[in-house]
Amino acid sequence: MDLAPRLGTPAEQPSLLAFDRAHLAELVDDLSQRLPEIVGHPVPIQRMGGGAVGIEVPAESLPDVARFLRDGLGFDMLTSVSGVDMLDHVDSIYHLRALGRNWLLQIRVKLPADKPEVPSLVGLWSSANWLEREEFDLVGITYTGHPDLRRIMLDDEFQGHPLLKSFRSTPTVVHDPATTQVPPDQAIAGEQQRRVERVVGKRLGQGQEERLHPGTPTFGNMAIFQQTGQGVEPDETVSRPGEMGTGS
Amino acid sequence: MATDQTSEARLYTEGPEGLRSEEMILNMGPQHPSTHGVLRLVLTLEGETVVHCTPVIGYLHRGIEKILENRPYMGGIRYMDNSDYLSPMLNETAYAGAVEQLMGIEPPRRAQYIRLLCNELQRIASHLVAIGTYGLDLGAFTPILYTFRDREGIMDMFEALGGSRFNVNYLRVGGVLHDFPAGWLQQCEQWLDRFERMGLPELEELITGNEIFDARTQGVGYIDPRQAVAYGLTGPILRASGVSFDLRVDRPYMAYREIPVNVQTRQEGDAFARYRVRMNEMYESVRLCRVVLDKLPGGAISSRTPIALRPPRGETYFALESSKGEQGIYLISDGSEYPYRAKIRGPSFVNLQILPELLRGYKMADVVAILGSIDVVLGEVDR
Repeated sequence: MDLAPRLGTPAEQPSLLAFDRAHLAELVDDLSQRLPEIVGHPVPIQRMGGGAVGIEVPAESLPDVARFLRDGLGFDMLTSVSGVDMLDHVDSIYHLRALGRNWLLQIRVKLPADKPEVPSLVGLWSSANWLEREEFDLVGITYTGHPDLRRIMLDDEFQGHPLLKSFRSTPTVVHDPATTQVPPDQAIAGEQQRRVERVVGKRLGQGQEERLHPGTPTFGNMAIFQQTGQGVEPDETVSRPGEMGTGS
Repeated sequence: MATDQTSEARLYTEGPEGLRSEEMILNMGPQHPSTHGVLRLVLTLEGETVVHCTPVIGYLHRGIEKILENRPYMGGIRYMDNSDYLSPMLNETAYAGAVEQLMGIEPPRRAQYIRLLCNELQRIASHLVAIGTYGLDLGAFTPILYTFRDREGIMDMFEALGGSRFNVNYLRVGGVLHDFPAGWLQQCEQWLDRFERMGLPELEELITGNEIFDARTQGVGYIDPRQAVAYGLTGPILRASGVSFDLRVDRPYMAYREIPVNVQTRQEGDAFARYRVRMNEMYESVRLCRVVLDKLPGGAISSRTPIALRPPRGETYFALESSKGEQGIYLISDGSEYPYRAKIRGPSFVNLQILPELLRGYKMADVVAILGSIDVVLGEVDR
């Protein structure tokens, strides 16, 4: 997926701050002069809403570009790292701030969907540690060179990455039918729910016939247990008072 | 704990006089009153000194980002309340502001002022909880009773506004839900008067001059300014280290473009400075609330937006100064009624990262003093 507008001409992003134009021209000049040298080919630079500047760099030149941004232009804070599943590829997106000059920069790195790997930035900004771990956990981007790339939000045993578009939100777990639990992909409640639920009453000794003591009273169900090894439906075994008795 | 040879050798270290000292691993949390939620700290102790700390988070992970992808834009506002549950108004403003920035609409002036008033009240409420629980962590039980009494007034006002104390769901894309009910502004003014006349001086008397509080906080948990910036810290923690960075001033949004804010900074960088910055910000917030009450413009409270919001295809990053730091929303729209991706950049999550660095070398008793001064909300750390 791309983010190009579908209809008509692209809408001009409104600049919310008046001083943005002159303020950002300096940054755009610096970037357009130096980035092609580092990357090796022209880099698309765009102005975005909220006074941010966006660039797009290939994954292999990200560390060099990031080092230049930090040491050359004064981007001293890595604010956020986002991973986005764009269906045909995966984006790793970085937001950088230059506190001294009040700039906000967005770096987009396009990664192949089948093997999203990008060099880690922990060596440059310490804040990248958890931010990259989170995206590794939720989107599945591998940050090579990360010192401690583990899941951070979810269990270590969790399968899959929830923020991928292909992730099934409802778990594909086969439930034991002998529970009162409704399958989680059926959004039902109330009376409807009661009909779907299959409540199997547990009777004495069900499922552990071999461990029953011969003297344990089973009210006549022992034979059925031994034949089928299963519990029987509640309706058939409701013992009515009249038929119950051996004695009276 | 592993019992193989190598880890045994690592755990037992020979002291200078042949004394063997053993490192102890202590699990603090996830159910611990001083971790402010379900945070688990795996502390490696040598005697009483913390050698290493590994925070384990994720116990409160609800997948808010995934939920937001499956809700219309208006429906997502309510889920932002649960992210940082001590400052829901600020989260809602961040989400609504991101959608507005993506759509290129500007809320009416009155709506912007109402938002600012709610944001500043929420900031006071959040700082009150931070300071009250911080006192509780350090063994002072009384301050939390006073702070929660004052915070109750704000909660009542929010209840009158949005119908709910916590999950206010008051903001809308393009404005706010309701105008003030009758008598609300007088109630707010009375609360501000009372808070400034009684609440704040009482807190100062209870905490600021307290010898035990000073001894527990001054010089504890020092953060170097360069280190703070490298770790991406924002909010009162960063400002307590002497870095004057406040998005309300550096990138003014909404009504902050018209109402200037005095940024509160301290140079010490320790736990006491963080407490002090929070106190000073409450004075500043009271002042801002009064300015809003003074200059509140008339007019519409909401711009006309379609019921089904379909922002144009594109992406945007909107950030505002929450009570704990930079609350950013990175929003991608594919032109439909649902966000394609909504990334929440939470200040607590990023601020908590520095904790292992801060704890190293301090005593076990200082763990809660340092953790409390960072002021994290686990709802937002885990999201």
